[in-house]
Amino acid sequence: MVIQSIVFYVFSCALLICGVMVISARNPVHSVLWLIAAFFQAAGLFVLMGAEFLAMILVIVYVGAVAVLFLFVVMMLDINFVELRRGVVRYLPIGGLIGLVLVSELVAMVSGWVPAAGALAQLGAPVPPVDQISNTRALGQLIYTQYFYLFQTAGMILLVAMIGAIVLTLRSREGVRRQNVPAQLARRREDVVAVRKVPTRGGV
Amino acid sequence: MVELPAFLPALPELFLAVSTMALLMFGVFGSDGTARLVGQIAVVVLLCTGLLVIGHGTERAVTFNGMFVMDGFGAYMKVLVLIGSALSIILAQGYAEREHMNRFELPVLMLFATLGMLLMVSANDLISLYVGLETQSLALYVVAAFRRDHAKSSEAGLKYFVLGALSSGLLLYGASLIYGFGGTTQFDRIAGLIAASPTPPVGVVVGMVFAVAGLAFKISAVPFHMWTPDVYEGAPTPVTAFFAAAPKVAAVALILRLLDGPFGHMVEQWSQVIFALSLASMVLGSFAAIQQTNIKRLMAYSSIANMGFALLGLAAGTEQGTRGVVVYMTIYMVMTIGTFAVILCMKQHGRMVEDIRQLAGLSRSHPLMALGTAIFMFSLAGIPPLAGFFGKLYVFLAVIEAAAKHSELYILAVFGVLSSVVGAFYYLRVVKLIYFDDPIETFDRQSDDSIAAVLVGTGLFTMFFFAFPVPVLNGAAAAAAALFTG
Amino acid sequence: MASFWSGYVLPLVIIVAEIVLIVGPVMLGVAYLTYAERKVMGAIQMRQGPNLVGPFGLLQPIADGIKLLGKEMIFPAGANPAIFIGAPVMTFLLALVAWAVIPFDAGIVLADINVGVLYLYAISSLGVYGIVMAGWASNSKYAFLGGLRSAAQMVSYEVSIGFVMITVLLCVGSLNLSKIVLAQQTVWFCIPLFPMFIIFFVSALAETNRAPFDLPEGESEIVAGFFVEYSAMAYALFMLAEYGNMILMSAITTILFLGGWLPPFNVVPFIWVPGIIWFAIKIAFILFVFLWVRATVPRYRYDQLMRLGWKVFLPFSLVWVVLTAGVLVGFGWLPKNIG
Repeated sequence: MVIQSIVFYVFSCALLICGVMVISARNPVHSVLWLIAAFFQAAGLFVLMGAEFLAMILVIVYVGAVAVLFLFVVMMLDINFVELRRGVVRYLPIGGLIGLVLVSELVAMVSGWVPAAGALAQLGAPVPPVDQISNTRALGQLIYTQYFYLFQTAGMILLVAMIGAIVLTLRSREGVRRQNVPAQLARRREDVVAVRKVPTRGGV
Repeated sequence: MVELPAFLPALPELFLAVSTMALLMFGVFGSDGTARLVGQIAVVVLLCTGLLVIGHGTERAVTFNGMFVMDGFGAYMKVLVLIGSALSIILAQGYAEREHMNRFELPVLMLFATLGMLLMVSANDLISLYVGLETQSLALYVVAAFRRDHAKSSEAGLKYFVLGALSSGLLLYGASLIYGFGGTTQFDRIAGLIAASPTPPVGVVVGMVFAVAGLAFKISAVPFHMWTPDVYEGAPTPVTAFFAAAPKVAAVALILRLLDGPFGHMVEQWSQVIFALSLASMVLGSFAAIQQTNIKRLMAYSSIANMGFALLGLAAGTEQGTRGVVVYMTIYMVMTIGTFAVILCMKQHGRMVEDIRQLAGLSRSHPLMALGTAIFMFSLAGIPPLAGFFGKLYVFLAVIEAAAKHSELYILAVFGVLSSVVGAFYYLRVVKLIYFDDPIETFDRQSDDSIAAVLVGTGLFTMFFFAFPVPVLNGAAAAAAALFTG
Repeated sequence: MASFWSGYVLPLVIIVAEIVLIVGPVMLGVAYLTYAERKVMGAIQMRQGPNLVGPFGLLQPIADGIKLLGKEMIFPAGANPAIFIGAPVMTFLLALVAWAVIPFDAGIVLADINVGVLYLYAISSLGVYGIVMAGWASNSKYAFLGGLRSAAQMVSYEVSIGFVMITVLLCVGSLNLSKIVLAQQTVWFCIPLFPMFIIFFVSALAETNRAPFDLPEGESEIVAGFFVEYSAMAYALFMLAEYGNMILMSAITTILFLGGWLPPFNVVPFIWVPGIIWFAIKIAFILFVFLWVRATVPRYRYDQLMRLGWKVFLPFSLVWVVLTAGVLVGFGWLPKNIG
């Protein structure tokens, strides 16, 4: 247990530090790298909770795919970040004020937090307990049975996003020569090579 | 083995989803000229979906582990949404061909948005509410930016996207607070828990306010209206017509279902919020529209004011009020589509014009179009005996009735009447331009039959609503009753 | 105090010893893989290969290592020092940590976790960072181009690798690597899932940036790609990582498709050989194919590479996922004990 709590605090502190560094790093590429580090710490916390499937998916999806694209974009952007920072200073008072109001609201609300009388009963776990089956299986059972409607609809959302990306960016350019692999493969020697008998001094 | 849920209540949605995907495949693999055909099939698909909705009837059925509900209210609103979408797709056809944005993705994305709207109307769970909303919004962001080579259209899409994401955030934050209170996201159970607790705790009230704020953004109620004029102006005109019609109906339906369903026992709390939204929308929408010269921006402010009037009925907090909202939305949708059909006819030398001063003297060159415009403007202004008057009538009736108990509603009613008077000013200014000013330059001859058909159909509905109001009134009454009896 | 020693220190010592036991042979394998590569390529091209340092040139990799250690490290002007140094370290580290879940024989595995396949997939998807960071931090156009190429390439091929893994998982019903091996006792998956085996192998080539997919290096157009600015030990770390990744991908291929430590036939002369030897032999075979491909196939052009990944492998593996699932359900062959 001691080790577990030490590890927990190490991961949590590192996560917070990484989070702070994401927004305070001067170089945007460094920001993205800190973000990746933050994802790792979060994955570590998931493992600590016994949610190893989520931890791995977090690393695969966010670190392995999403953050790569972030990095890709950020590296190629040519933005004057000094300019952007000037804006931060200008909007800091009003932004800070809004943040302060939200925080005080949160505090007021949490201090007076009363869950409904039957709330705990509603929370009842709808699956076999996680200590009996692996959490990959437990998640699968939930997603593909109880929540399959949401799962499918989320799929529709992603489909729409994909169509949208294509609609807004794909341009068919004129005059581009494309490789036609079947045509290349279908080419036969007889079609393109002719063996001719060339008479002496005659030419073709 | 796991038992399969009942699919029958969701049959219209399933049909729409599958045929949209089939249509997408057809568009992708078809030849270049398929765009028009895809649009026509899309209208047929929407009609079939509507028939399926009607075929299911008004019986209440809950499926997918309580996440999806189909009832009388859902059936009415879905039919309304489907009509709105179908008319918008018809309007988009000719326009798309003229403006060189004739791509099959437009009707497909509009179908996806419609699918999202149907899911919104049928949501019975906070998560299904959110996924439905997101399906709709994401498709709308894309169609707003559909003319990607035009700076204004891209700006509209981007602005809508960024602010829409913000509103989704608000909605989700509210939903998480509600979940924290109840430990459940399902509407029926939340309703039960709220009914069981003597006074709703502050957490759930804040959650409800955030959720309503997120939804108020979608119907562009003040103070969440900032995006509306720019998006309306920037988006391609038939897309704007679509924005003004179907998504508004779906979002209002969602607000009705959310506030009358799970928060039905918190009328005291939410009626204040709706009161403020309604008042601000009516006043700002009416006054800000006065100085607009672009007809699409004018319609944007008009829709803001109209949403204020619709929320008026909700603020009453009664079944009568809900019926008023449903009637109002029906009439609003038809009028809006009709008005946009008129706007689509505004062409000079083959180019679209949007300045209302160009309408001057329309009566002399295009008497029929002028008549149509006048009808819609009078109706929007709420002049009897046109349809717009009845929409306002039922809403105000409900408010006055409820005001017997809550006297502050009288204030709302007074402001409502005042702002409809202000609104009448700018609607009638358009009529004045058409009939009494000298023509500057005439419009091209209208050659598109489908737009003309939409114009005539919506115009007839607006004109003769007073003669045959019964189907709409009965339908709305049944819908409201379904919501209140549960 | 006794519980502190037996409860914490002793397990720690054991784990460290196990790690050393795994890393040592892997590093040795890497060293001799470079030697094998030069010998195999030499044989294919009718040359001798290294033959001067030690008998048959066997000490050549050691000599190369010592030489690289003795070189001076050069920092390009304007390079980002922390990331410039961090990139090769990270690449090398990732090539090693993946070995934690590889089962060498029944029960011989450092961490027998439930989601072993996902762990490997996650680690292999991180490999791109070392290359992109190196490309960016070098402050050089060639390096940057190499980094970008690599990022696009690895992300593209990861998708089909993921689908291939899913087909295997469908047949096994578990994400545990030992269980995946044990599920192949009747037949190795390379036989029923042969097309997936081929796709996996080709994607593994792309994932390790090996010929014919070595565009990130692309010496004919961008000199040496992402590590053009590297020298001495940092360069050595990249090379070690590259060859380490090759061995790793071969090990994954072996586990997923060639029955891991299982003998080819469950009869007498074969079962005398220990499982770990079978495992090594299979890895060596896959590695030989890696080298063979490098010596025979010309480099892909960039658009061909993308086309192959997105337009051929992705739809094909997607169809196979559906097909496999359909066959398993249709014939009632779904794995019984899922875990």
